[in-house]
Amino acid sequence: MKGYRQYFLRKLGWFGITFVFAFLLNFILPRLMPGDPVAVITQKVTLGMSSQSGVAKIYREYAELFGTKKPLLEQFALYVANVAHGNFGISFSQYPRPVAVIIRESIWWTICLQFPAIIVGWLIGNILGALAAYLKGGFDKVLMPISIFLSNFPAFGMAIIMLVVFGITLKWLPISGGYGFDLIPSLSWSFIWSVIIHYQLPFWSIVLISIGGQAIGMRSMSIYELNADYVKYSRFMGIKDRKIIGYVFRNAMLPQVTGLALAIGTMVSGALVAEIIFSYPGLGNTILKGVMGQDYPLISGVTLIITLMVLSANFIIEMIYGLIDPRIKASQAD
Amino acid sequence: MNTMVKQAFQSAKFLVGFIIFMIILLTAFIYPVIVRDPPLAILGQGTFFEPGIYVNVFDSIHSKRYKLSLDNAAAKRIAAKLGNEERLDMQAWLLAAGVPKESIDIVNTEKLFDLWVKTYDPNKSVGMTSAKRNYYVRLDQSLKGILGTEGVTIASTNPDSGVLEQTDSIERSDFVNLGQVPVVRVLPLGTDNFGRDMLTELISATRTSLVIGFVAGSVATLIGLILGLLAGYLGGFVDDLIMFITNLFTVIPSFVLLILISFSIGQESRGAFTIAVVIGLTSWVWTTRAVRAQVFSLRNRDHVNLSKLSGHSFIRIILRDILPYIASYVIMALILQVSSGILAEAGLSILGLGPKTTEVPTLGLMMNWAMIYSAHITGKWWAYIPVLVDIALVTFSMNLMNTGLDQVFNPTLRE
Amino acid sequence: MSRTMIEVKDLTTKYVTRAGENVYAVDHVSLKVEEGKSLGISGESGCGKSTLALSLMGYYFPPLYYTSGDIIIDGRDISGMDPNEVRKSVLGREIAYIPQAAMNALNPTRKIIDFIEDVIRAHDPSMSRNDILSLAKQRFEVLGLPAEVLQKYPVELSGGMKQRTVIAVSVILAPKVLIADEPSSALDVTSQKMVIKMLRDLMDRGYIKSMIFITHELPLLYNVTDDIMVMYAGQIVENGTAKEAVFSPLHPYSKGLMGAIIVPEKGLRGGKLTAIPGVPPNLKSPPPGCRFADRCRYAISECKMHSIDLRDAGSGRSYRCILSEGQMGEAGENG
Repeated sequence: MKGYRQYFLRKLGWFGITFVFAFLLNFILPRLMPGDPVAVITQKVTLGMSSQSGVAKIYREYAELFGTKKPLLEQFALYVANVAHGNFGISFSQYPRPVAVIIRESIWWTICLQFPAIIVGWLIGNILGALAAYLKGGFDKVLMPISIFLSNFPAFGMAIIMLVVFGITLKWLPISGGYGFDLIPSLSWSFIWSVIIHYQLPFWSIVLISIGGQAIGMRSMSIYELNADYVKYSRFMGIKDRKIIGYVFRNAMLPQVTGLALAIGTMVSGALVAEIIFSYPGLGNTILKGVMGQDYPLISGVTLIITLMVLSANFIIEMIYGLIDPRIKASQAD
Repeated sequence: MNTMVKQAFQSAKFLVGFIIFMIILLTAFIYPVIVRDPPLAILGQGTFFEPGIYVNVFDSIHSKRYKLSLDNAAAKRIAAKLGNEERLDMQAWLLAAGVPKESIDIVNTEKLFDLWVKTYDPNKSVGMTSAKRNYYVRLDQSLKGILGTEGVTIASTNPDSGVLEQTDSIERSDFVNLGQVPVVRVLPLGTDNFGRDMLTELISATRTSLVIGFVAGSVATLIGLILGLLAGYLGGFVDDLIMFITNLFTVIPSFVLLILISFSIGQESRGAFTIAVVIGLTSWVWTTRAVRAQVFSLRNRDHVNLSKLSGHSFIRIILRDILPYIASYVIMALILQVSSGILAEAGLSILGLGPKTTEVPTLGLMMNWAMIYSAHITGKWWAYIPVLVDIALVTFSMNLMNTGLDQVFNPTLRE
Repeated sequence: MSRTMIEVKDLTTKYVTRAGENVYAVDHVSLKVEEGKSLGISGESGCGKSTLALSLMGYYFPPLYYTSGDIIIDGRDISGMDPNEVRKSVLGREIAYIPQAAMNALNPTRKIIDFIEDVIRAHDPSMSRNDILSLAKQRFEVLGLPAEVLQKYPVELSGGMKQRTVIAVSVILAPKVLIADEPSSALDVTSQKMVIKMLRDLMDRGYIKSMIFITHELPLLYNVTDDIMVMYAGQIVENGTAKEAVFSPLHPYSKGLMGAIIVPEKGLRGGKLTAIPGVPPNLKSPPPGCRFADRCRYAISECKMHSIDLRDAGSGRSYRCILSEGQMGEAGENG
């Protein structure tokens, strides 16, 4: 396992560096914003107030609270300390709710929707691609154009089509929200059922989007592997086709796993937009609300969390790859 | 170079993609010359007018009239009058009056109407409230009215006496020639929620999105090209540094960066051009990698070494010996980057972080408006389907071109 | 009376191009190898030797098709046999193949011993893991490979080790015929010698009963095989013992080959260095007469008119030419 440990540590180190970098970016960019966010919120809160000194006082209070008057380095230190405690500041648009609370509400919806959807899409896409490469003929000719079409379709386009076709025209499934508007979250069966049916459209939209790209890639990889020297040699030595197919797909899968790691960022972005279209109560909508409310602590917090999620997913996938590709262990051993 | 171009045009895929793309491009740039309306001009006083030909009623009264006798005029009027609800209501009444269900056909207008005329009796009691009965009476009267022969009287105020006088009358057999009505507006795609002509808006938005995509794609490709060249050719420390930065940007989702940057520069500065540059600045990663790989493999080729030995300058080697070989790659990368630039802008706009909404529309913005005003829920398909189809066509044609080029430049991929 | 391990009679196989044209890459080839003997097949790239190898194995995959002829392995006619049957009982067991650039022939994600197990189990499903292990170790020993290699992945081995591993795997079931396709071409000279020595060793110890060694280097075969066959444009042009073929070639092509090579062998010093101008004919539409006529310094007009048969030169030697040795000698002096 020694080789593996090296690989693991290297990836972990990389994860750390990238995260620090993202963190820095996340801190600096919003603060480059022209204009004074504190003035914006003061204005909102003091609407109707006539006393000038009163307004000024409130402005000072907020400036103090949000620390926008302090030198940048101090702000940064404060920020790091806060984040370490899980404190992302207080939302402007939903004042006085803390950002952390807002995020906590929506993050589970996003995670439970997106990650299963992306993985299921990846699996189905790869299986279809492999089948197309192996079966050739009719199946292949049908699958290819569909995959090309699907993969070119923008994420939100797919979501809208699904919404219109299944939600509105056929009226099979609900089109917005995470659960029925009239229900209160509880452990009752009707609530759980409502969650499940509201889950369907966003879920399948994301799955469909993921399938297209994966199928094409896996098909190419499989075709490439099927023509590899070791396939010919195995045949020469009399090994049955079925076993050889097993070899081929195991080998073709490996780059696909790496591909997933690289593509996770894009997939998550697409999925976020899909969430918005379905008014799903996840991070996508949180961003939307933040943008509309000029809420920079919220945006800052959400983007940081999303980056962290993607980085972690990336890290986990790379770990899994290290486990399933025997060459990693072997080549790192000396 | 010429052979490459010739080859490219021989590929079916490239040709198809190219044609589609050119059609869109030309339409986008020529249409505004022909139809000079400003794209964001508000025409419709009201939201989401359906596609169709809008005839000014006032002018049609004053246009030359022709008498036409059409057989099915009455039937058409009845069919138009009897919406689904009315038919169901009629069925309800008939059932309550004891008519067997099998003999009621609500789809066939003529039969339903005949049945109604035969059976309906305002005095018959069928067990309904008086309000409902009055409703049926009115329904019956309006139906009978359709079959009548009276025309409509036009009255206007006499400027001298201030009294309403009859000035004109319109018969049921009066027709006007659409071509002779002075004020007619064709709205092939209806209007959006603000009342703007969708078609003009769509074409203008396509143009803007294409420009944004092109600028974004060019910026990204340029950065990718320069970084890739430097990393691939110089190797060593420069390569390590550039790859380090590239790897960082690979994992951080570019979309998140886009959101951050767009948000940070604030609403005021978000012009179309600025957004395009920002998109370009966040999507150079893939191109860098691809260019670097290509340059790497070229670096030790004989002709490059020859130039190095001859003492040619760095710039010259890059321009003469390396660029021509990666040109095909770069063009493909450019096409891909433009395509993804357009999509990125659309995504941004849906979030509300796209270019300012008051100057020019973009495809993403149009989607945004459609969604905010619930067009997709209320069935106003013309507000978003054409936009979607447009986006899909643009990206699809570009990808097709790219696949075609790929097969031309990489013979191994040919089927 | 030694057994004939493999006998091929008039084998013809073809490639079908996308346009539907037939290219007869192996044109009426006959050969015979006895037990304990080895045959070298030499020829330039594209002459059909690798195709011949594939055809001998019964390995027909589109676009390669069997046309006619017999292939008899140890008395068993496998030509035209059902491919599945071939896979089960012939490939790997009766006749084995070492591919060119054998380094890439191993599945990169499978341990060597696991792969060997797959090979053996495909033919003998009941063999125990231990037996497999000892069998593998035995073969590896002959090839100078330590037993630890069995537990490794191909990526951990050097090029030479991979080559030897592939050889070991190919002979694991003690095939009657081993076809080695350019086994040394991808290696440096020292490794080349080593591989050749190992192959001979394997044969001496009886792990393989006969061998066909394919290469484009004709003189190399002198140290390796008993007999030599020279191929050109899909046909055999010369046949004989190794010594005869290398030191006194009869066919103008073989003569040209030997003349074009700088090898410090006995008897060649002082000779003139010549190259063979021209290129082999396109097999899509082979010329009506002798296929070598365009490049042959002895060619006369009759050569191009009709197809040439193999000419018997006594004691098993043959060559495909209408001119006799004497006639060529005269032409050589004049031309």
